Amino acid sequence: MTASSYKQFFRQHHEILVVGVAIVLVALFVTISRGMWASPYNLASILQVTATLGIMALAESLVITSGEIDISVGSTFGFSAITYLGLVPHLGSAAALIIALAAGFGIGALNGFLVVWFRLPSLIITLGTLLIFQGLCIAVTAGFSFSIPWAHRKNFVYQVLGGGNFLGVNTAVFWMLGLFILFQMILFAMPYGNRLLAVGGSSQTAHSRGISVKRVKFAAFALCGLLAGFAGVLEAGKLGFADGSMGRLMELQAIAACVLGGCALAGGRVSILGVLMGTFLLCGIQSFLVIMGVQPQWFMLVLGIIVVSAARADRVFRDWVLRGA
Amino acid sequence: MSDTRPLIEMKNIDLIFGTFQALKDVSVSFDSGELVGLVGDNGAGKTTLIRILCGMHAPTNGEVYFDGQKINRFNPRLAIDLGIETIQQAVGLCNNLSIARNFYLGREPVKRRFGLPFLDFEKMRKKSESVIREFGLRENVSADDEVEILSGGERQSIKIGHAVEFKNRVIIMDEPTNHLSVREREHVNRLAVQLKEQGLLVIYITHAINQVHGISDRIVILENGEKITDIKSRDCTAEELINIIRHGGRVGLAENRG
Amino acid sequence: MRGAIKRFSKRQDFGAIASAGIIFIVFSVIDPSGWLSLSTLANVSHFSAILGFLAMGEALVLISKEIDLSLGSIYGLVGVAFITLAESLGIVGAFFAAMVLALLLGGINAFIIMRGNLPSMIVTLSTLFAYRGIIYVWTGGTIKSFSEAARAHWLTRLFGGEFFGIENAVVWAVLLLFILNTILQRTRTGNHLLAVGGDAESALSHGVNVVRTKSKAYLLAAGLAGLSGIITLCDKPQTHVTLGTLMELEAIASAVIGGCILTGGRGSVIGALIGAFIITSVRYELIALGAPSAWFITFVGIVLIVAVLFNQALSRWLLRSSA
Repeated sequence: MTASSYKQFFRQHHEILVVGVAIVLVALFVTISRGMWASPYNLASILQVTATLGIMALAESLVITSGEIDISVGSTFGFSAITYLGLVPHLGSAAALIIALAAGFGIGALNGFLVVWFRLPSLIITLGTLLIFQGLCIAVTAGFSFSIPWAHRKNFVYQVLGGGNFLGVNTAVFWMLGLFILFQMILFAMPYGNRLLAVGGSSQTAHSRGISVKRVKFAAFALCGLLAGFAGVLEAGKLGFADGSMGRLMELQAIAACVLGGCALAGGRVSILGVLMGTFLLCGIQSFLVIMGVQPQWFMLVLGIIVVSAARADRVFRDWVLRGA
Repeated sequence: MSDTRPLIEMKNIDLIFGTFQALKDVSVSFDSGELVGLVGDNGAGKTTLIRILCGMHAPTNGEVYFDGQKINRFNPRLAIDLGIETIQQAVGLCNNLSIARNFYLGREPVKRRFGLPFLDFEKMRKKSESVIREFGLRENVSADDEVEILSGGERQSIKIGHAVEFKNRVIIMDEPTNHLSVREREHVNRLAVQLKEQGLLVIYITHAINQVHGISDRIVILENGEKITDIKSRDCTAEELINIIRHGGRVGLAENRG
Repeated sequence: MRGAIKRFSKRQDFGAIASAGIIFIVFSVIDPSGWLSLSTLANVSHFSAILGFLAMGEALVLISKEIDLSLGSIYGLVGVAFITLAESLGIVGAFFAAMVLALLLGGINAFIIMRGNLPSMIVTLSTLFAYRGIIYVWTGGTIKSFSEAARAHWLTRLFGGEFFGIENAVVWAVLLLFILNTILQRTRTGNHLLAVGGDAESALSHGVNVVRTKSKAYLLAAGLAGLSGIITLCDKPQTHVTLGTLMELEAIASAVIGGCILTGGRGSVIGALIGAFIITSVRYELIALGAPSAWFITFVGIVLIVAVLFNQALSRWLLRSSA
C-alpha cells in the first residue's frame, strides 16, 4: 500500500490506535506480571467487568455519536438493577427483566424527549436525570434489603441474565458480544446508522436531506437507556444484591472507554471495535494494577491520566492522518 | 409553461428572525420549464428565500403555494417529497461520511434480509461513482472515501451530481459554480438549461449576472429582503441589471433606458 | 418605575431571584418556627456560601463557553492540603501554599485544554478523577484535623469564625460576589469573557486573547473552589477523602439555575450564588421536614430541569418581545 492509502485506512479506522496500544500493553502486562495477568481466572474476571462496562460504553457511544452526551447512564444502570432485583422474588426473572428494561428505556426516552423537543443542552438535562434517579435509588434502597433468595438464583432465566456462567465465563460476556455485533450492523450496515452518523457529523445537512434529526437523536437516547438498563440487570444478576450506590461513576468510565476507543466527542465518528477495546483496556489496566499490588487509591489518579493521554493521543493521531491528505 | 397556473407561488412573504427581518413582503411566482436567475447583493435574502422553498424555514407571514396547494408545514422532507432538490452553499455534505453515503443520505437503498433493511452498498457505490465521475472526480478517489479529503470543486461536484440524479420537479442551485473551473462552470450552466428543457423549474442563485442572464428566461432581483425587479431576460441587458444592483435598487429600469 | 421593573425582569438571573424569593416566602409560611430560626438561617447561608464559591467560579467558566467538572475535587484537594501543610508551614504558610496549589490545579486544566486542543468536558472529567485520586493517595484514607492552637489562629478565625453572628463564609462570599460581578460587568476581562463565550471567532478578530481569557476563567474558578475548601476546613477542621464529591455537579446546577446557559456568552454570578442558596435551602428544609436525604438529590434534579426549561422559555420570550 502506498503511504497515502495507509493514512486513508487510519483515517477511516481510528480504532487502529487503541488496538495497537492494547496489543502493546497486553504484551507488557503479561511480561511484567509473569503470566499472572493472563491466567484463565484473571482473564475471566476482566471479561466479566468488561461485559457490563462495555454495554454501558456502547450505550454512551450511541448518544455521543449523535452529537449529544448522557451522563445519567450510571443512575439508569442502578435504577434498573434495583428494579430487577426488587421484582424477581415477586414476579420471576422474565417479568422482572421486562419491567427493568422498560424502566431503562423510559429514562432514556425522558432524556431524549427533553433534549430534543425543548432543545435543551443534553449535559444539563442528563445531569438532572442523573440526580433524580440517583436520589430515587438511594431512597428506595434505604432500609430495604434487595437481595435474591437462593431459590431464585437457580432459575434458568436468572442464570442466563448474568446469574450464571457459560463456558467458564459469566453469561454477561456473551450478551455483550452479541450486542456489539448487533450494533456494528445497525450502525454501519443499516440506514439508521447512516443517519445517526450524519446527524452527528452535520445535523444541518441531515436535516436538509429530510432526515428527522429529532427522531434520530431521540432513538439514540432511548436505546442508550435501554442498554444501560440491561447492563444493570446483568450486574444485578451477577451480584445477587444491590445497594443505592450502584452505577455511581460508571458514566464517567463509560465516556472514558468511548474516548479511548476513538469516538469523536463532537459526534459523527464511532467504532464498535474501538469501544470494545477501550473498555477492555480500562478493565485490563485496573486488573494489572491490582495484580502488581498497587493500592486502590491510585486508581482514580491513573484513570484520570489515562483518559487525558488517550484524548491527546487521538487528537495527535487525527492531525497526523489529516495532514497531506 | 403549458400550465396556466404557476408551479410555485409566494405571496407577501415576511421572514423575521428575532429582531431581524430577512424578507419583506416578497411576492414572486415560478413556472415549470423555466430558468429563473435569483440575484442581488450579499445579504439581499436570496438564500433565505429559497430556504423557505426547501423547507428549512417557515415564513413569518405570507403564503406559499405549490401546484395550487397551500403549504402549511415547512420541513425538508415535505419539500423533497414535493420534488424540490437543492444545491446549497453552507450545507449539503457530512464530512465524516463517504461519498457514497453522502450521496444516498436520506434515501438509502436497502436489501432486505430476514425482513431487516440492510444498506445496498454495491448499488450505492456504483451509482454514486458513475454520476460523480461525470462531474469531475479524480480518478484515484473512490466512492468509499470520506468527503473530508476532497477539494472544494469535488465537493461541489457531489452536490451537483446528487441534485441531477434525484431531480424531480424543481432544482434550486445556490451558487452552483463555486470552486469550479471555467470548463466545469460551462458544464453546470449547460446542465441547468438541459434541466429546464426537460420541464423542470430551475432557480439559479448567483453573483455572476452575465452568466445567468445568458441562460435564464427571467431575472428576479432582491435587495435588503425586498423584491425590486422581476423581468424577462430578453427585456433587459445584463448591464442594466448590474446597474440596478449596484445602486441598491434605487435606479429602476425605466430610468436606465432614459 | 414601569421601565425599571421591565428592565429588571430581563435580567439573566431574574428567574433565580424570583424563585429564591418565592421559596423563602413559602418556607416561612409552611415552617415558620423551623425555617425562620436564627440557627437554620445561619446554617443555610453558611452552606450556601460554601457551595456559592464553586457556583460563581463555574458561572465564569460557563460564560466563557467552557465547563469545569473538577471543581469538587479541587475543593477537596486544596482543603486537604491546607490542613496537612498547617503542621509544617504554619497556618498562614499553609494558606498561601494551598491557594497556590489551587491556582496550579486550575492552571493544569487550562493548559491541557488550551494547549492540547481538547474538549473541556473530557479534560476536566479526567482531572476530576486525577485530583480526587491525589487526595486518596496523599491522605491514605486517614482523617486529619487541626490542633487546638491551630483552631484559635487568627487566620482560621478570619475564615471560619463569625462576624456579628454571621458566619464568615457568608461575608467572604458576598464580598467576592461583589468583586466578581464588578469584574464581569465593568472590566475589560469581564467583557472579554462574555465576548469569548458569545462568539470566540469574533472576539479573536477583535484582538481578544481567547486563550488567556479562558485560562483566567479556569484559574478564577479553581481559586474560588480552593478558597471554599480552606474556609470549610477553617470552620470544621476535619478532612475526609470524599470532601467535595459531586459538588461540581451541584455547582453547575446552581449556575444554571442562576441563569447561565451552556452556549456561553451570558450568565450571572449573582444568579449562581442565588442558585446555590436555592439548592441549599431546599436541602435544609427537606431534611427539617423529615424527608429522607435522598429526596433532596432527586429534588435538585427536578429543579435543575425546570430551571433550564424556564430560562430557555424566558430568553426566547425576551428575543421575541424585543422585536
